[in-house]
Amino acid sequence: MDQTIICRCEEVSLQDIQNTAITYNCSAREVKLRTRAGMGYCGGRTCRPAVDAVLEAVTGEKAGHDIPMKVQPPVRPVSLAILGGKMR
Amino acid sequence: MYDVVIIGAGPAGLSAAIACRESDLKVLVIDEFPKPGGRLLGQLHQEPNGEWWNGIKETQNLLDQAEKLHTEITCGVSAHHIEKTEHGYMIHTNIGVLDTTNLLIATGAAETAVPIPGWTLPGVMSIGAAQVMTNVHRVRVGNKGVVVGVNVLSAAIARELQIAGIELHSMALPISNPVTKNHANPRHVMDGLVRIAHLAPSAFLRFGSKFAKSAWVRNIAVNFYPKSGVKMWGMPIHIRKAIVQINGTEKVESVTMCDITSDGEIIAGSEKIIDVDFVCIAGGLYPLAELASVIGCPFQYVEELGGHIPIHNEQMETPLNGLYVAGNITGIESAKVARAQGTLAGYSIAKNIDKIQQAMKDVKSTRDSASIQFHPDIVEGRERIHRSFQTYEKAQ
Repeated sequence: MDQTIICRCEEVSLQDIQNTAITYNCSAREVKLRTRAGMGYCGGRTCRPAVDAVLEAVTGEKAGHDIPMKVQPPVRPVSLAILGGKMR
Repeated sequence: MYDVVIIGAGPAGLSAAIACRESDLKVLVIDEFPKPGGRLLGQLHQEPNGEWWNGIKETQNLLDQAEKLHTEITCGVSAHHIEKTEHGYMIHTNIGVLDTTNLLIATGAAETAVPIPGWTLPGVMSIGAAQVMTNVHRVRVGNKGVVVGVNVLSAAIARELQIAGIELHSMALPISNPVTKNHANPRHVMDGLVRIAHLAPSAFLRFGSKFAKSAWVRNIAVNFYPKSGVKMWGMPIHIRKAIVQINGTEKVESVTMCDITSDGEIIAGSEKIIDVDFVCIAGGLYPLAELASVIGCPFQYVEELGGHIPIHNEQMETPLNGLYVAGNITGIESAKVARAQGTLAGYSIAKNIDKIQQAMKDVKSTRDSASIQFHPDIVEGRERIHRSFQTYEKAQ
């Protein structure tokens, strides 16, 4: 299987994602929670379409109309001072 | 409290701001890049009619108009969260919280990664990053490189790198895997190439474009594609060769190139090592819609438009009251279309009834006369999104 990195922030390989998708027969969101793909610094901007493509290859199902892996704020890196409301 | 906050100071955002300022709305444009202009800044290409499209000049034109109308533009500001309130939106940014009645999200697109072995080495960059470094920052990205991924965007930017005096060995396909699949399929790539063939001074590609509509001719073109590639502006474009691996210990030192069959399968024993010090990966663009997703705007997946699109109508309104979208977030098209959409969105926000109809016509005519079509079925994709807006509205 393939060691090619898919999520570079969390260093998750193509093999990791394929194995997880096959073992648990799961959604993009579950793959994210199980492997941490898409949970790194970039917030999934780099690997979101890639994880989707791997899942499509494994399950044969096209992406649905909801954004895969769910987008959570903050969608950009942000300091604790700002999150804590110091900048209001 | 602003009448409208516009996120993204690219061609869509700036045009929208201008249209809103014509009606004297209280407008703020924010952008996370240090300079306004968005991806327009990097663009430099010759149109089929011989005229040059210079993104820096086009940006300056928009900025001049915006300045005349006293438009507030703040750069280096990124929005990390947006909340819907009773009266509008609260935008959480690195300079604090912004309150606004209307919100236009014009965040453009992001590049789709091309994960192949070695793509995380320093010296590998997306083709768009190479464009920004070359045309915006004026930084030399390397001495000799290769482009992995053959499509409308990568061909245009490869030409820009060439104009800047940067040596490119060639353009070739990525090795096939579940992520690269279409980009690694010579037949699929040929379909894309014939759409840009009119831009290329090559008899072979023009031959392809003439018969672009018949699949059997495209098949012949793929099957008999020259071993040495087809030259576009003197640089070989290979669709029967793939980069299987990017090599290096600390940084890019070389790539391994292989011959592939017309279905994208590796031909054993054809490996060649090519010394390069940078690699541009090009997987195309997808709409950058994170902020629309965080607010809870409904989406539709439309392949023709490049991915998940916030549902919107022909006036660029989403189903959420006061939330508008314009530019590449609504589908991957040229900067000219984005600019026309921005103007339309601005008039919609300002409820400038007299100008909305004309602005809608302008979007269509700009699309019809575009010299590069990112997807052949853009119009169908657009209609699908507008229909889902109506369906959604009825269901509510």
